[in-house]
Amino acid sequence: MDTLAIPLATASDASGADRGFIQVRQARKVYASGDKSVEALSDVSFDVARGEFIAILGPSGCGKSTLLMMCGGLEAATGGTIDIAGSPMTGPRTSIGVMFQDPTLLPWKTVLQNVMFPAHVLGKPDAEYRDRAQQLVDMVGLHGFENKRPHELSGGMRQRVAICRALLNDPDILLMDEPFSALDAITRDEMNEALLDIWRHYGKTALFVTHSIREAVLLADRVLVMTRRPATVVADIRVPFGRPRDISVAETPEFTRLCTELRGMIEHGGGKRDRRPGDGPILQPGRHGGQA
Amino acid sequence: MNERTLSLVLPLASAVAIVVAWQLAVQLGGIRELILPAPSAIAGKLFGTLPSLLQQAAVTGREALAAFVLAVAAGFAGAAAISSSKILREIVYPAIVTLQLIPKVALAPLFVIFLGIDHEARITFAALLSFFPVLISTSVGLANTDLSTLRLCRSLGASPWRTFWSVRVPFALPHFFSGVRISSTMAVTGVVIAEFISAKEGLGFAILAAGARSQTAGAFAAIAVLCILGLALYGAVAGLERLAIRWYRG
Repeated sequence: MDTLAIPLATASDASGADRGFIQVRQARKVYASGDKSVEALSDVSFDVARGEFIAILGPSGCGKSTLLMMCGGLEAATGGTIDIAGSPMTGPRTSIGVMFQDPTLLPWKTVLQNVMFPAHVLGKPDAEYRDRAQQLVDMVGLHGFENKRPHELSGGMRQRVAICRALLNDPDILLMDEPFSALDAITRDEMNEALLDIWRHYGKTALFVTHSIREAVLLADRVLVMTRRPATVVADIRVPFGRPRDISVAETPEFTRLCTELRGMIEHGGGKRDRRPGDGPILQPGRHGGQA
Repeated sequence: MNERTLSLVLPLASAVAIVVAWQLAVQLGGIRELILPAPSAIAGKLFGTLPSLLQQAAVTGREALAAFVLAVAAGFAGAAAISSSKILREIVYPAIVTLQLIPKVALAPLFVIFLGIDHEARITFAALLSFFPVLISTSVGLANTDLSTLRLCRSLGASPWRTFWSVRVPFALPHFFSGVRISSTMAVTGVVIAEFISAKEGLGFAILAAGARSQTAGAFAAIAVLCILGLALYGAVAGLERLAIRWYRG
């Protein structure tokens, strides 16, 4: 692949030894139905260091959710390999927490019971998890709502419950599939801020799928840009803002400029086709190496 | 009057109105008692023969309850089986639908041949009659489990067994109970039909015997007890449904 040749970026807060915590190599996904087959994902390769927050950014239908589900062991790869923590993905692991676009809370369970669902569904005793569940609920600002049912909560609160549930098993990796895309813009900003805050405490490795450029730049250490044709990663951009980060970085000119660059890449399938030397700087990965 | 009392008063009022109209029609219209006895005559017969009617009701009630329990257990187990295996579903479902199309009343005499003229035959027949609604509605409920919740379970590494009891069953409970409610009335119907064919006791037998002796009021009295029996079973199921949903869903 000769797109913006992408060297491994080193995470701001991870040691070099953990660089290949997640290794995706020539991953492909083909959906075959009858004699027709659709390539949902072609030849995707990237590495993620332990502790890095990666946003996977692209238009809808570009295969980014498929890629995420493959990393979570929920979809099998048609070709290529995905290794996590040194072993190939064959199926779901408890060391990986997943958040979906829909909070998928069980309507008959309370907030606390929903947070403890991962333990419950594996037949583990509730008592061992109650304290941790309560801590998580307090951390996301839902103190006092432990015994409410999902229908009594707002959309943002439900996603907060889903975050707690994904963190219950203290996973090494959190996979998030457009978790805030169904929320209104104001709530979305709030959730982004909440997630930045949670990140400060937990510092897990994260893959975050989104079609919002702003969200990607706001949250991530690196942004992987995907396009529809080909359905692959066309750019790997380091976000130059350090941590702790808060939502005010979105008001800086640098933030706006980075968003504009990313928009160009998405619109032009990687943004390199029409470029010539001397066209001005295109963001190079690693160029802004975060200083955390 | 609030909605709650209204929904209690209106059905009662309509029942009373029907009984009064019936009584008046028989008395003023000069309908012969052989054709249609007045409610007062039926009530007289009912209380006059109450001990024997209750005895018959106990027989029918026990059989209906046994048939109902069997039907619910078999219907639930069958639905669980066909919802867990696509192959099993492909094999079994067409057969079940075909069987459903046969007027099952036509099979009642065969059960006498298969199982004799005792309780077993009647219970089995009534169970067969009432098991379909549970099977069909439960499998619809199990098939309609929220897909993203199932994906969540998969991502959590939950076993199919755990997923079934923690997620699929609670999601299917309302469907399951709508089948169970239909099944409770059909169990009573099934036992009465079977009693028409082979019994020496029970309310079905009492209706048949009264009819044969042209005791129309006696037949109506037995039918009235049958109605109460059916309502009691239905009411018990409705109460159980509330309890189960509250208990299971926490």
